[in-house]
Amino acid sequence: MKKTLIAFAALAAFGAAEASYAQNATDDTQVLISQIQTDKRAVVLSTLQLTDAQVALFTPIYDEYQGKMKQIMTRGSDVVNKFAANYGSMTDDAAKDILKEFFKVRDDRNALLEEYAKKMQRKLPATTVLQWVQVENKLTALLDVQAAAIIPIAR
Amino acid sequence: MRFGPLAIALLVTAVSPIVQAQDTGLASDEQILIKQVNTDKQAVYAANLGLTEEESAKFWPIYNEYEAKVKPLQDRLLANINTFAEKYDTLTDADAAAILKEKMAIEKEREALKQKYTKEMEKALPAKKALRYAQLETRIQILIARDLYSLLPLAR
Repeated sequence: MKKTLIAFAALAAFGAAEASYAQNATDDTQVLISQIQTDKRAVVLSTLQLTDAQVALFTPIYDEYQGKMKQIMTRGSDVVNKFAANYGSMTDDAAKDILKEFFKVRDDRNALLEEYAKKMQRKLPATTVLQWVQVENKLTALLDVQAAAIIPIAR
Repeated sequence: MRFGPLAIALLVTAVSPIVQAQDTGLASDEQILIKQVNTDKQAVYAANLGLTEEESAKFWPIYNEYEAKVKPLQDRLLANINTFAEKYDTLTDADAAAILKEKMAIEKEREALKQKYTKEMEKALPAKKALRYAQLETRIQILIARDLYSLLPLAR
């Protein structure tokens, strides 16, 4: 799980802000991020406060989602590596490839969340699914900012 | 390079409807803030893209067209947040499903628009500068998302 989150953060860093933003993160946020990195699944389950019956419905779908997200994030990490490898001597062709792959990863990430939100709506109340999407978005945003200091703007 | 004022401006823009939950529609001060954010974004791009005069002549018309098309999506996002705020205490599953559907649709359209116009920039400018633009635009989105999601309460 930790490896997935690092890859996830690396993808976010592709478009993330400068170090000053990471420094601006609140202490609470830092604590939350540490928690997330330890076990995102536990954070999600704890935040949603599902009943036992809902947990039984939620976790198989969520685990499947996380498995697929991990694959997308690995691809995202590859894009970041390509960016880093080309950074000092970025050609227009390399920039085009990176842009294409970066956008594909973002599309796949958004599509996966939408696909699994729909799957969950078939099993769980929509208010619960909305909560999950909110939590997922919040964790994504926190990780994105946490990764803010890693990658500079292309030159 | 700092995005602080930009992020804060959009944050206020996004959160005001929660504070004014009884209000319907978009307040004029929110519209003014959006205008300010768009002005700040222009300054960010002008300072960081390193465009030549010739490149600027190509970039700004594409950028302005993109921003004009993003504006209705910003309005829809604010309207969706207003709906969430107004219904927060009595949110039904039907409400939640509608809010979720609209949220996903807005995000999909926003991303598609960004990609479409980045490709336009790729045709008009060196790809490296289009990449730089996409990075800056994504950074701004990340900051806004971080601020927005940290303040919106979870549905209940």
